[in-house]
Amino acid sequence: MIGAAAAHVPPTPPPALARRHRHLLDFEGWPTEDLVALLDTADVMAQVLTRPVKRVPALQGFTVATLFFEESTRTRLSFERAARAQSADVMSFSASSSSLTKGESLRDTLRTIEQLQADLYVVRHRAAGVPHQLARWTDGAVVNAGDGRHAHPTQALLDAYALRTALAEAGLPAEDRTRPFAGRRLVIVGDVEHSRVARSNASLFTRLGGEVVLTGPAGLLPPQLGAQPGVHVSPDLDAAVKGADAVMALRLQRERMGSSRLPSLAEYVHRYQVRQRHLELAAPHARFMHPGPMNRDVEVATDVADGPRSLVESQVAAGVPVRMAVLYTLLVGKR
Amino acid sequence: MRLALRGGLLLDGSGDRGAHDLYVKDGVIEGTDLGGAVDQEVDADGMTVTPAFLDLHAHLRDPGQETKEDLASGLAAAAAGGFGTVVSMANTVPVVDDPGLVADLVARAARVPGARLRPAAALSKGLRGEELTDMAALAAAGAVMVTDDGVPVADARLFRSACHYAAELGLVVQTHSEDPSLRDDGVMNEGEVSQRLGLPGNPVEAEAVMLFRDGEIARMTGARVHLAHVSSARGLGVGRWLKASGAPVTLEVTPHHLTLTDEALAGYDPLFKVAPPLRRQADVEALRAGLLDGSVDAIGTDHAPHTLAEKQQDMLSAPFGIANLEVSFPLLHTRLVAAGLLPLERLLWHLQDGPAAVMGWPAPRLTPGAPADVTVLDLKTATAVVGSRFLSKAKHSPWEGEAFTGWPVATLVRGEVAYRRVEAAA
Repeated sequence: MIGAAAAHVPPTPPPALARRHRHLLDFEGWPTEDLVALLDTADVMAQVLTRPVKRVPALQGFTVATLFFEESTRTRLSFERAARAQSADVMSFSASSSSLTKGESLRDTLRTIEQLQADLYVVRHRAAGVPHQLARWTDGAVVNAGDGRHAHPTQALLDAYALRTALAEAGLPAEDRTRPFAGRRLVIVGDVEHSRVARSNASLFTRLGGEVVLTGPAGLLPPQLGAQPGVHVSPDLDAAVKGADAVMALRLQRERMGSSRLPSLAEYVHRYQVRQRHLELAAPHARFMHPGPMNRDVEVATDVADGPRSLVESQVAAGVPVRMAVLYTLLVGKR
Repeated sequence: MRLALRGGLLLDGSGDRGAHDLYVKDGVIEGTDLGGAVDQEVDADGMTVTPAFLDLHAHLRDPGQETKEDLASGLAAAAAGGFGTVVSMANTVPVVDDPGLVADLVARAARVPGARLRPAAALSKGLRGEELTDMAALAAAGAVMVTDDGVPVADARLFRSACHYAAELGLVVQTHSEDPSLRDDGVMNEGEVSQRLGLPGNPVEAEAVMLFRDGEIARMTGARVHLAHVSSARGLGVGRWLKASGAPVTLEVTPHHLTLTDEALAGYDPLFKVAPPLRRQADVEALRAGLLDGSVDAIGTDHAPHTLAEKQQDMLSAPFGIANLEVSFPLLHTRLVAAGLLPLERLLWHLQDGPAAVMGWPAPRLTPGAPADVTVLDLKTATAVVGSRFLSKAKHSPWEGEAFTGWPVATLVRGEVAYRRVEAAA
C-alpha cells in the first residue's frame, strides 16, 4: 500500500486517537488500542524512511521546539530528525545555551519560549514532572523526552516497536494484534530505582499484554514497583531470565559505584552483568536490549552486545519512526 | 478602651457557656452581659466566640526573607486565621541565634497589628548543628523555645547538650525529627506513589528513628521536648510510646498532615511539597485518632510561605512548605468537625489548651481577667478559599477554590480588633 502516490499522502492514524491525546507525558490515560495504533503508525513512518526522499509534508507549518534542560544529543537529534522528516520547523533550546538560572521559575522560562510560538514542545528535565507542569501552562502539545526517574515514553515505544518487529520477523507475530505482548516476558536488569526507562517500559509492556520482571541489586530495586499489574520484582536474575522473551540491561551510572548504594563495580559485574549464559536460559528467540549508551563489560558482556541476539541497533533505528508517529499523532489533531 | 462582642455563643475550655455579650476592657476580659457604654462593638450574632488560637510553629521569614513573609504580613495572616499568639521559627536570614535579633523581633512585633509574637530562637548557631546558642541570653531577650526547625539536629551529642542546657533554663526544645541521611534527597513520602511518580522518596523510618532518638534524649536530660509535625502512624506510635513510658515529650501535628496524602503529588505541583512529606491515608487516619485520644498535644500550622515563583520551579528545586495560617481552622473544621470525625471542642482544645500546656502557659479562657485574645468564628457559612485574598504574602494554597466553613470573622488581640473579615463583593 506504500506506493509512489503515498509519498505525499500522510499516513492516517485513527481520527479518534488524534483528538484524544493532547500530550504524551507518560502512558496514563493511553488505552492499549491507542498505543498499538502508535506502533502501527510508526510502521508506516518506517516505510517513509526507506524512500529515496525521506520527507513527507505531513507537518508542514507546524513548529516543534525541543527543550532540553538536561543535555542528550542522541534523543534530541532523533526528535529533530522525526520533525524535519515530516516538514515541521524545529527550534532547539538547551539549558546550557540559555539564560536559565536557578532563580527563574519554570513558568517564566516557558513564557519566554512560548513567545516563539511552537505547536509542540519536546521536553527533557532532570526533575520528574516537569513535562506535566509545562503541559498545565501551555496550549501547545508536550512530549516527555525523559523526566528524572519518572518516564521516557518514546524510549519505551521504540523498544516495544523494535521487539514487536523482531518477534514478527522471527515468525512469532502476535496472535492478538490488540495485545501484542500477550504471553511475553521482558526482564529489565540494573539500577531500576533511578531508571525512567525501566518505569516506562514496565508501564508500556504490561499495557501491551506482557509481563515484566524487574531485577537488580536490592538497594536499587524498589519493591513498590511490583504493585502494578503484570510487574514482578525479584533480585534473582537467573530465575528471572528463564524462558524470557527479552532481557534489557539498564545503563549503570558510574557515580553509583562505591557510593553507599553499591559496593563495587566488580561485584555488580559478577552478579548482574548480562552474559551469554543468561540468553541460553531465556527463550530460544529471546533478544538482548539496551536503551544506550552502553557500558560494555559492565552491565552487558561485549559478546552479548555484539551478538546475533542483540536488538540494540534496531532499537536505535526505531527511534525516528516512532517519534515521527508520536509527533504526527499529537499534531494532526490540532489541524 | 472598652469593646463588646454582641450575642455570640461563648465556648472555651471550661465548656459551652451559651449566648452572651462579651465585654473586654483595657486588654483583658471584663465579663458577660455587663451593659454600659463601649467604644466599639462587634456583632457576633450566630457566631462562636472562643479564645484566639495559639500556634507554636510558624515561619514568618523575618528577618531577611521578606519577599516570602514579614512580621506585619505574618502576624496579620495569623489573626485572620483566628490565632492570637504565634511562635516564629528561627530559620531566617540571618538565623535568630543572637539575643539582639530576638529583642528586635519582639520590639518590632509590638508595633504591628495582628497576633502576638513569641519568638523561638535557634538551638545551634546558624542552625549548623555544631555549637550551642547562648540560650540564657536568648530567653532573657524574649525567646520562648529553642529549635533548629527546618534542619534536623544530626549530631546526637549536641542535641543532648542542648537539652541539658534548655532543661536548666526551663526552655521548651522543639525538634524537626527526621534523620537527615535517611531522608537524603527525598522530596515526598517514599512508597508506591513516589516510585510511580519517579520522585526521590523520604521514608517514614527517617521520622520514626529520629523521634525515638529525640524522645530518649528528652528522657535522659529531663528537657521538655516538643516533637514537631509528627506526620506518620509510625512516628505517632513512637511518640505515644515515649509518652507512656514517661519521657517529657509533647506531640504536634499539622493541618496538612491531617487532611492530605501523597496522592496529592500526582499532578507534580510543588504547592504540595512539604517536609515532613504528606503520607498515606492510613497515616492521616492515625493522626486523626491521635487528636481524638489525646496523644497529640497541639496542632501547629508549620505555616511555611514561599513566593509563587519559588513554588513554580520543578519538584526537585522548589522549596518545602505550605502557607496555611489563614486556612488551618476552616480546613480542619470542615474536614474533621463538620464531617463528624472530631468534636468541635476537641479541635479547639488542640489549638488552645493543648499548645498552652506544651509551653506551660495558662489555658486561655473567656473569664474575667484573662487576656482579651478572642476569635469569632462563623461555623455555618461555606466560603471558598481564595488565595489572592490572603493577608500572607503567599497568596496561593493547596486548597484553592475549596469551600470551607469555620472562617474567623474577627479576632481580638490584647482587647483590640486585630482582624475583621471583609466580605468579598458578590
